[in-house]
Amino acid sequence: MRRRDFLVRGGAGLLVLSPAASLARLRFTAPWLLVPMDEAQSDHLKAYGLAYRLLDRGGRAEWLLNYRSGSFLIPADAATARDAALNGVTTEPLDDGQVVQLRGELQNGNMDAVPLEKAPKVAVYAPPNAAPWDDAVTMALNYAGVKFEKVWDAEVLGSKLKTYDWLHLHHEDFTGQYSKFFLNYSGSAWLLEMVERNRAMARQLGFPSVPVEKRAVASAIAQYVDRGGFLFAMCTATETLDLALAANGVDIAAAYADGTPMDPDASAKMHWDETFAFQHAELELSPTVPVYSDIDGHQVNSAERRQPLGSFTLFNFSAKIDPVATMLVQNHRQVIPDFYGLTTSFTRKTLKPSVTVLADEPGAPWVKYIHGEHGQGTWTFFGGHDPEDPQHQIGDLPTDLSLHPHSPGYRLILNNVLFPAAKKKELKT
Amino acid sequence: MRRRLVVFAGAALLAAAPLAGQQESISRAFELERRGEYGAAADGYRAVLAAKPADAAALLGLERVLVPLNRPGELLPEVRAALAASPSSGVVYGVALRAWAAADEPDSMRAVAERWAVLAPTEETPYREWGTAALGRRDHAGAVEAYTMGRNRLKRPDALAAERAQLAVIDGDYAGGLREWLAAVRRLPGYRLSAVGAMSQAPAGARPELLRALSREEDLVARRMEAELRVRWGDPMGGLQALLQALPEDRGPALEALRGLVDQLRTQQTLEGKLALARGLEALADRSSDADRSRLRLESARIYTAAGDRDAARRMLAGLAEDRTTPGPVAAGASAALVQVLIAEGHLDEAGRRLDKAGLALSADEREDLRLRLVGGWLREGDLAKAEAALGADSTVEALALGGKIRLFRGDIAGALEHFRKAGPYAGDRQDATSRTALLALLQPLDVDSLPPLGHAMLLLEQGDTTHAIGALEDVSRGILAGSGGAGIAFLAGRLAAATGNGSDAERLFRAAAVKDAPGTAPAAELALGELYLAQDRPSDAIAQLEHLILTYPESALVPQARRRLDQARGAVPKT
Repeated sequence: MRRRDFLVRGGAGLLVLSPAASLARLRFTAPWLLVPMDEAQSDHLKAYGLAYRLLDRGGRAEWLLNYRSGSFLIPADAATARDAALNGVTTEPLDDGQVVQLRGELQNGNMDAVPLEKAPKVAVYAPPNAAPWDDAVTMALNYAGVKFEKVWDAEVLGSKLKTYDWLHLHHEDFTGQYSKFFLNYSGSAWLLEMVERNRAMARQLGFPSVPVEKRAVASAIAQYVDRGGFLFAMCTATETLDLALAANGVDIAAAYADGTPMDPDASAKMHWDETFAFQHAELELSPTVPVYSDIDGHQVNSAERRQPLGSFTLFNFSAKIDPVATMLVQNHRQVIPDFYGLTTSFTRKTLKPSVTVLADEPGAPWVKYIHGEHGQGTWTFFGGHDPEDPQHQIGDLPTDLSLHPHSPGYRLILNNVLFPAAKKKELKT
Repeated sequence: MRRRLVVFAGAALLAAAPLAGQQESISRAFELERRGEYGAAADGYRAVLAAKPADAAALLGLERVLVPLNRPGELLPEVRAALAASPSSGVVYGVALRAWAAADEPDSMRAVAERWAVLAPTEETPYREWGTAALGRRDHAGAVEAYTMGRNRLKRPDALAAERAQLAVIDGDYAGGLREWLAAVRRLPGYRLSAVGAMSQAPAGARPELLRALSREEDLVARRMEAELRVRWGDPMGGLQALLQALPEDRGPALEALRGLVDQLRTQQTLEGKLALARGLEALADRSSDADRSRLRLESARIYTAAGDRDAARRMLAGLAEDRTTPGPVAAGASAALVQVLIAEGHLDEAGRRLDKAGLALSADEREDLRLRLVGGWLREGDLAKAEAALGADSTVEALALGGKIRLFRGDIAGALEHFRKAGPYAGDRQDATSRTALLALLQPLDVDSLPPLGHAMLLLEQGDTTHAIGALEDVSRGILAGSGGAGIAFLAGRLAAATGNGSDAERLFRAAAVKDAPGTAPAAELALGELYLAQDRPSDAIAQLEHLILTYPESALVPQARRRLDQARGAVPKT
């Protein structure tokens, strides 16, 4: 190696960890950029946005599963380097020789490279006037710079849903009981507004009550997944979506929601074959207890049943055999502090046998993060409300993700956003 | 004899055994109650009462624990037994009244109260307890009846006045309440705070009439109540005047009345409240002994100063400083405070004279501090010669920092730099050190030793004339190349313009500073521009500016802050 070449490479090496020097790297004209996702990364969350925007510009990338905590390999074009510099994302220039060496490493370990080809078209299910900071996924998408559109009942029940690759549900109550806050927060302005908005939508769509209308929405979402859509749900949307699907012809809504009391024998009448993840759950019969069933392990809103928060552990999967599950658990942390939501976790006893557990709390009777297939599509459920606000209370200040750029919990959300971008043939498990 | 003694001792032990057992039982019951085991505690108290039906501690204990058990009505058998065993015990009658109230038996309540009143014909207690028990069962009329009957039978116009006053206020009869409270306080002065607290709740519409009613009363009790109510109703000076005009010659009652009002004035946060407090302290000082007087005058002066009445503060302090009876430390404190007031008022010559006069009475640190304040005062006046004279040959780091300012204001850039460098980061507080560092950064790029127009502009700034300082700084910046210090001066002018809300001037000045020829200043100027656009709700301009900063100066220490602002401009993070 000539001395000048050596100095150039040495200089490039010195620039490796500095996101500010991305533009300067271009001078070295390295053809590739590695976006490390281990401790070297200065903003893990924005790194996903960098990959997403590259795909959105028509570019291609590779997701290096289990390589330095799920790094990305992207072409070192000027737009990407500029994007990285602006957003403070650490990149490392690689020449062709280094990339060949990297691929050799991938071959020899529990690692693999998944091509990312197309920026998924993302929809977030939220009421039209939902605050942008009350939903972890919306916050993650905003912070990372991933484009998304909002849809609600009219769009879901119309024909728009099929135009999206990925649908996120947050803390919607698909049983139509307004998160069971109706009695406890009676008179609160936000609750009155939520009730009126939902009732107006049900009337507009020609349904006799909100629970009936929400069940129709849940069915439409199930059909969307059945036809190949990607579904990601958090918090109470996970539990209530399945309860709504199972409640085909069963009254599981309190009288304040539909005018008739809940069927006291509802648990025995549920149709669990219609659900994504859960079965044989016992429903909460009291309309005043903001708990739906024993699907949730933590029961945060029941003083006598509430369980303390622990930590959950991500499972390891074979990158070459099980790339889907591997993609969903890419992280620089294996053990993550738990966080509450209206539905925080999922009891093992209520999981269908076909469910893939991605993370659990060792020794506890519940799991945190699950995945499965439904028809031609897939779904992922993640318990809890906000990974960086473990005790989230109504009215809490919104989470500022610029203060949590390395959040492992938010990384799991963004794994899901990018997962549909993976080349289809690689998704077979 | 020995045998007799043994027999006697044995008898005594036998007699003491039940007593000791009872003592142990009640202790056990107390402990159970403390642990919250109310059912077991009730059994324990009952066991004691079985042996001694009128045991007051056990009876009261049983009454207490039955309440959390929600069984207060179950006390009646024990009450009846206690009354039979001790028909003249006031404690038992009190418990009996409450027990029958809990059992919702008003006739029995009345009967017990009547029996008690016969036993204690001159006391208010039976009627007070009767009324309280009635109120406990929300029987307002029953309470009125108890208090009225008590007053009539006791034949005293002030009997049960406090209780009747509270009922009147509950009924919204504030005039009646005031009459009763006055009677109650005249009889028992300790009621005054309760009276003022209750009457202060009167609605605004009722207050003028209440004040008129008070003004018709002539005694000190009425004046004190008027004064304290005026304070609570937002007229602290009126309250103070009302009291001052009625203070008796007798020093003791006058001091007590003044202290009461001053305590209440201390809670006032308004300017008028502070002035009234200072005036009250002054009045208190006038009536106090020497040592207290000095302390109170010093406190008064400080509060006058805080409230902006420097004349009054100076009057207090001058009196203190010249009063030979003032204790030394207080006199020194007064002198120091007086010099500070004079400097703040701009009476710098007099401040200098006072400082010289105080001389050795002040500690060396105090003298030094005041002298440097005086130098600062002369600087703000723009009299650089007097500032320099006051500074003398002082070579402390604080003096060097001030000396640097004097040279800067004269336009002596080289001299200012030398002094600021020598002063280093040690002079003054953190804010002083930071501002000196900023001045060094401003002056260092200048390649001239003398620049009087810059000195003039900085002096305007020191004097608080920001508007003219901005113009003068901009003029100076135009005459100097950006890379030779012009950008830094334009940036300073821009920051001043932004701080005074002059957005268009700020934008122009920041743009003048954000040039590549001044790489030390440009990133800060670009960030300031981005923040200005954000504040002006121009997110797209802010985004363009901040992106330019990040991409043009990627190694700048300001890049992380620029990224955060960029996130805010894009709406990627909440504005909070």
